[in-house]
Amino acid sequence: MSAIEFIFAPLVLALVLSLVTRGNNSLSKYISLILFAFMLSFSINLFSQLPSKGYLDLGSFLAVKKFDFILTLQVDQLSVVMLVLTSSLLILVALSSWSMKNQAMYFNLLIAFSGAIFGVFMSTNFLWFFIFWELTLVPMYFLVGIWGAERRVYAAVKFFLYTHVASMFIILAFFLIHKESGTFDMTLVKESLLLSPVLIWWLLFIGFAVKLPIFPFHTWLPDAHVQAPAPISVLLAGVLLKMGAYAMIRMVILLLPETSQQYAWIILALGLITLFYSGFMAIYETHLKKMVAYSSISHMGLVVIAISTMSYAGLSAAVYEMLGHAFIIAPLFLIAGFLHHKTGSWQMQDMGGIMQKAPYISAIFVLAGLGALGLPGTMGFVGELSILISAIKADGVWMAVVALGSMVGAGYIIWMFRRVVYGEMSEIVQKTKFSMNPMEFLSLIIFAIAIVLFGLFPNILFDIINPIFVQYTFLGGAL
Amino acid sequence: MISAFSILFLVALLSISLHRSIWLKPTALLALLVSAYFTFNGASVILTGFASNESIRLFELILEVVLFALVLHIEEDITITQTLFVGAASILLLQSVNILSFVISFEALSIISIVLVSYIQTKEQAEGAVKMFIAAALATGILFLGLMFYVIGGGDLLSAVESKNIFEVIGLSIMLAGVFYKLTIVPFHGWAADSYALVRHSHAAILTGIAKTVVALASFKIFAPFIMANIELYVPLLATLAVVTITLGNFLALFQKSIAKILSYSSIAHAGYMLLAFMAVKSEYAKDGILYMSIAYIFMQSAAFLVLDILRKNYNISTLEELKGFASQNRIVAFFFTIQLFSLAGIPLLAGFLGKAVVFYAGVDAGLWYVVLIALLNSALSVGYYAWIVKGIYFDAFSSKKIYIKIALPIFAQLILFVGTVYFGIFASTVFIG
Repeated sequence: MSAIEFIFAPLVLALVLSLVTRGNNSLSKYISLILFAFMLSFSINLFSQLPSKGYLDLGSFLAVKKFDFILTLQVDQLSVVMLVLTSSLLILVALSSWSMKNQAMYFNLLIAFSGAIFGVFMSTNFLWFFIFWELTLVPMYFLVGIWGAERRVYAAVKFFLYTHVASMFIILAFFLIHKESGTFDMTLVKESLLLSPVLIWWLLFIGFAVKLPIFPFHTWLPDAHVQAPAPISVLLAGVLLKMGAYAMIRMVILLLPETSQQYAWIILALGLITLFYSGFMAIYETHLKKMVAYSSISHMGLVVIAISTMSYAGLSAAVYEMLGHAFIIAPLFLIAGFLHHKTGSWQMQDMGGIMQKAPYISAIFVLAGLGALGLPGTMGFVGELSILISAIKADGVWMAVVALGSMVGAGYIIWMFRRVVYGEMSEIVQKTKFSMNPMEFLSLIIFAIAIVLFGLFPNILFDIINPIFVQYTFLGGAL
Repeated sequence: MISAFSILFLVALLSISLHRSIWLKPTALLALLVSAYFTFNGASVILTGFASNESIRLFELILEVVLFALVLHIEEDITITQTLFVGAASILLLQSVNILSFVISFEALSIISIVLVSYIQTKEQAEGAVKMFIAAALATGILFLGLMFYVIGGGDLLSAVESKNIFEVIGLSIMLAGVFYKLTIVPFHGWAADSYALVRHSHAAILTGIAKTVVALASFKIFAPFIMANIELYVPLLATLAVVTITLGNFLALFQKSIAKILSYSSIAHAGYMLLAFMAVKSEYAKDGILYMSIAYIFMQSAAFLVLDILRKNYNISTLEELKGFASQNRIVAFFFTIQLFSLAGIPLLAGFLGKAVVFYAGVDAGLWYVVLIALLNSALSVGYYAWIVKGIYFDAFSSKKIYIKIALPIFAQLILFVGTVYFGIFASTVFIG
């Protein structure tokens, strides 16, 4: 299959499947798993074809010359890393949704989402990028709104509206770019071609900051994260937020380097605020999943700090942390969702002593938690350390405060262990049977292996990530 | 000469004798197919004052497809006849190139619209029809007042518009006001929300989906040179009108409980988006913008109102409250409705998105990015009420008893309109001809 088929085939497939399946029909489930496996092998296959510099052309379609509205598919290392991450997460999400109720439509929406997200990472035409960027919202809206928890409708509508409003700034920026440079092709646009780079920078920054999310544009995320079903939270944290980071790197930092240099301090300041604000919010929360959600935002704060260094090392660290965040936060969300499903409560004080009832699940929970607080040997450690080093290199020794962020992380994670995993067994936990669907457990094990494997051997990932930024001349060297 | 117009006009006349026979609908459908064939082969109305070009031909073709879907859906004999008349008058209006032919065909469309809504059975329909009638009469009056000024200024009725002296400028400005009355631009919008919501939904589909779009497209063609010549005067004026129309339409839509009212206010907001193309006339993308917007709008708005017709007739649903959980009643209709609503909201891969995108780009291209920003934010806000309808359809548990109803032809009509919405959301090259 060619690249364009991986975008449109899922969309058509989802449409066809929604006509033939309904209720708990498991046809879509198996088809989605096969499709995602194909997508993964396709993305890995792309690696071997990538040129050492520049983009790999995957074809242009549906050309409208006059408006420069051409579906140009091109990939470089950064987009292929995102494609591999996305498709592997999709497989794991499909596995962890194995016993979802009303699953025919659920998996159909997941299939539709996979097409749209591939479009986001493959298209280099601003307008088509925007089309796929917006299209990802639609399946997400339904996935949160139908399968979510008690306040799902509020969360779904808020998520849809909030991110849609942000997108309006993005498309206005794209229009301005086209007016001033005459093209929608992001590989051709240079900052020197633009007449009003500052305006465009602000529009793009605000637009992507909402998705990332950066304080103070983050308020949609705790709601969406908490109300979404656990696998969809994984998708939100692992893919949707990464879309924001990807776009921030590609369209703000790399496209407008001079203006970004000028405003790097704003990105840095907002990154630090995001890191500490959501860290403290996580300490304050008694709601298990909300705590995980804030911890997720806090980690994205680290990514933002790494991006703000605008250095070779910093950007590599940002991409590594993006991957690490996806693998670490996913099991936390999945297990939080699982515990809520079994105990019927979100509150940490209702749990406690899970370790005695469900040792395997708890072990993975603890491992992921330790990854989140940055224990050496996990992905979290490598990510946080490399970000710390690159930040100190770029902005001076006072950036050691970033390490304090990890300490805040340690605070809420360890306290959460004390309240949920260890501690005295609560009555609710005593009454509950913690049995997990084997497929869902399998996905947890894969996450756990990834956390440790890439934590012990970070060079596997850095070997892939470092070449991304070689072609751009930045200060500093690789880690 | 045989042309799409003459076929539609003759069959419309002939169809009166076919009322109460089963041949009416097939004849009407066949007439539309044949007229589509002639449009495709490029036959235009061979009369002085009328001319066709590539983009007009494309739009006529689309118009005939949409009318085909409408005729499939409609059950009342008299409405089918009137739909054919609407088609004939629309083709006239689209092809008109001078002031006289524009005014005549504008009035023809206006009169047919009034006759259309005069098929009254309930008190509400009477209210809607009367409001519509008064509005149309006023619009005609204003249009003719403007025409008088234009003639006093020495304007030639048989050539394209010109604005050499102050009388002509005043005359054309007043005429534009008359056109805006039809287009439901604020402050001439008062009648629209009530009329569209109260008359039969299938009539409303013709009024907002077809008549309004045709008027927008035709008046852009006629008045663009005039606006271009008086650009310093008109850009601030049109920008203000557009922003006010969009904002007011969207905010009022947010507070409605009846689905028809929501769609009526959204129709007012969409008139505002179309006005952005008038504002951006300086840009070469303005005419692409209005054409794309019209194509998108004719599909999605007609489809949305036809769904309302299905809902009211078969399920007795007219408010958001009653719509709850509709997806479990009829998931096919629910799906089509959702797609059209998303298209109205401007979600990508649907025609509504590209329509808005090209119009907005024309605005940016004309250097008015701040006006476009307001319109964009409004468009994002409008997702609020569209998504709220969708939320009612899918997220809420349904309350009433399940009704099994077989509706074949209206579903087929919806399918046609759905294909149109999706096709023009992806294959933009069809529209960018020139």
